[in-house]
Amino acid sequence: MKKLIITATALSFAFVSANALQEVAKIDVKDVCKVEKVGAPKALEVAKKYNPEAIKLGVEFKRLGIKNREYIKALEEAIKAKKKETVVKYKSKGKEKTKKFDTNFLAERACKFAVRALQQVNEAEKTWRLAVPGDGFKY
Amino acid sequence: MKKKIIASMIIGSFALLSAGSFNAEAEKDRKALTEYFVKKFADRKNASQYFPYTPKEELDKNFKWGLKPEEFRLGSYAFNKGGRAQYEEIIEMPPYEDAIDEGKELYEKTKFKNGKSFKDCFPKPEIAGDYPKYVKGKGVETLTTAINSCLKENGEKPWKMTKGKMAKLEAYFAAASREAGKKVNIVIDSKEAADAYARGKKEYYSQRGYLKLSCASCHVQGAGQRVRNEYMSPLLGQTTHFPVYRLKWEGLGTLERRLKGCNKDQGENPHKPGSKWMNELAYFMAYMSNGLPVDGPDVRK
Repeated sequence: MKKLIITATALSFAFVSANALQEVAKIDVKDVCKVEKVGAPKALEVAKKYNPEAIKLGVEFKRLGIKNREYIKALEEAIKAKKKETVVKYKSKGKEKTKKFDTNFLAERACKFAVRALQQVNEAEKTWRLAVPGDGFKY
Repeated sequence: MKKKIIASMIIGSFALLSAGSFNAEAEKDRKALTEYFVKKFADRKNASQYFPYTPKEELDKNFKWGLKPEEFRLGSYAFNKGGRAQYEEIIEMPPYEDAIDEGKELYEKTKFKNGKSFKDCFPKPEIAGDYPKYVKGKGVETLTTAINSCLKENGEKPWKMTKGKMAKLEAYFAAASREAGKKVNIVIDSKEAADAYARGKKEYYSQRGYLKLSCASCHVQGAGQRVRNEYMSPLLGQTTHFPVYRLKWEGLGTLERRLKGCNKDQGENPHKPGSKWMNELAYFMAYMSNGLPVDGPDVRK
């Protein structure tokens, strides 16, 4: 029974991720994440939609020691409070740290990170063999 | 009787043939990779083809050419003359020697609560070249996860997988393997093992993270090129010398610790040591060094 539940959960995860991968392939990241055009709340919405899929697939982006989920969490609070600056709290080598970002800048980054992480999974399907010596990579 | 012997011989040879065929793809990959690196570092004349961005003077002065496959176990010190000279000075008094002694003590003197010891799981210490291995029902086991499995199966708490006691015990296993003249001997003897290898290989060559780098970007195509002042090491021979004492860490670390760091450098939230992803990646990487001498522990920058 336990095995059945685990298999069913794994299958549903795989199905959701496969859907997200298909969907994301059609997205123009410069368009949907451009804060000047869509606004920070919309960009955050896109990030919130796709980043969980990136986490499931093990491809979530991390920059400056901060995971994209941490950018998103801080942005949610900042946008709700209508703050121009976002303070991100994160852990580095066991220590609590903080970093300040412009909210618009960070919303665009979080959105791009979430979408690109998934788009790269699609791209890698077509490109990874090109780097294999004796296969796609001629030397 | 004669008939029975012939029949069992035929069955045996079929079994042998099919066991051999499971590593066909991996063998093809390993041979091509070895050929690529030998060609890349063969001589100065063809160097501009492989190192288009490296200044000519640097190729003339800093590089050693005409490398043999066994030399790649030294990582970038195989071709980097300056780095090699520094490395040779450091290993005159290796900073990992105490760790080998402590690892030996852990192996010989640790008694589990149930009265058993590491010797019950690993009767001989010269096993570093045999891991990672595919274990039916468990998947790929690295030496690190095998040590933790041993601890857990005997009612003990697992160890941290990146440094500390784990790295020390592995240092002893590696040193014992080197002393016994052991070579890397990764086995792919089932379809499941071949599938695990194939997944590890795909991940190695897939671009990831916000920098969109694959492991191969730096350690296959990029091997021998510089990032700031450091030359990037080749995939061939890369797993032979772990655990390593890294000057950056000021201590000893396992292969998992290094892989975690690489993953982070690519701009991705690193996969956990001991995860299926990391174990299968290590399985692929280690297979690429099959036949090379075990050369750990060692020192790296």
